[in-house]
Amino acid sequence: MNCLGPQTSDQPQTTSSMGSEDSALVAAVLRKDRKATAEFVARYADDLYRYVRSRLAPRYDQVDDLVQEVFLAAWEKLNHYRGTGPLQAWVMGIARHKVEDHYRARLRAPESIEDADQEPSSPASVSDFHQLLEQDELRKNTWRVMGGLPEQYRLALIWRYWEKASAREMALKTGKTEKGIERLLARARAEFRERWDHGQSS
Amino acid sequence: MANLPDEEFMERISDAVELTESESAPARLKAKVYSALMLRLAETGPLMSLSETNARGHKLCVFEELVRIAPVGEGAKSLNICRLCHARVLAEQIENAPIYWNGCSYVDLKNS
Repeated sequence: MNCLGPQTSDQPQTTSSMGSEDSALVAAVLRKDRKATAEFVARYADDLYRYVRSRLAPRYDQVDDLVQEVFLAAWEKLNHYRGTGPLQAWVMGIARHKVEDHYRARLRAPESIEDADQEPSSPASVSDFHQLLEQDELRKNTWRVMGGLPEQYRLALIWRYWEKASAREMALKTGKTEKGIERLLARARAEFRERWDHGQSS
Repeated sequence: MANLPDEEFMERISDAVELTESESAPARLKAKVYSALMLRLAETGPLMSLSETNARGHKLCVFEELVRIAPVGEGAKSLNICRLCHARVLAEQIENAPIYWNGCSYVDLKNS
């Protein structure tokens, strides 16, 4: 689907041609060109969907609403797009903010998870890490464990370890104290670990 | 691995495992998003008229083409006529909607 006219050459697209194509698409959407708007959706829906889905898994019931919110927010801010970078990266940046907003709202909600005493694990050898589990098994286990975690734990872990947010950033965005976030993360890690170990032994 | 501290354990898991999904967005979702965007566009003023849309080289569906050639003002040609179309309803409700019109945005989204 390309609403922006035929390609003029068979050459691979250069960064500047992609940039001008992005700018043309943005200009057309801002002029309320309905076909360009469909092109905008078609171009980014799959990437946005995969990203949002991976960050909300396994609570897929809210994925569609969040994807739609991302598109509406992107459209509202489209006149701020300056064309200095790929439109895709710009749209994905909005998606990251929306996912963060979602995490923030969920983590601000009163915790429904009982506190657990923390028993720090003893440090030990890590040299056998990659030998113990194959990549595929590692991935499957991660999804399995994530899928069973309480939502607040899961979102906190993804935000901290996959989105690489610091505890301080998370605290600022949720209105909680840094200590509170650290405690939440500690409980989430312990729960993750327990479920992981349980899965290994069963 | 079994004896790693929890913090390091999580660091290693997140470094080793990318939480990615391979599924494409459902066609129904694309249709709903497009409808929501069109609604928002229409709320803030007239859409680009079908005459201009056509002049810019876009294909129009049979219904849009009928409106484009109809003896009505540009105002009527700038309405969000997809709002009234059964293709939109089908596309939003059915994953593999039985819609096949050439130039229909919902068909294009279904095939994207």
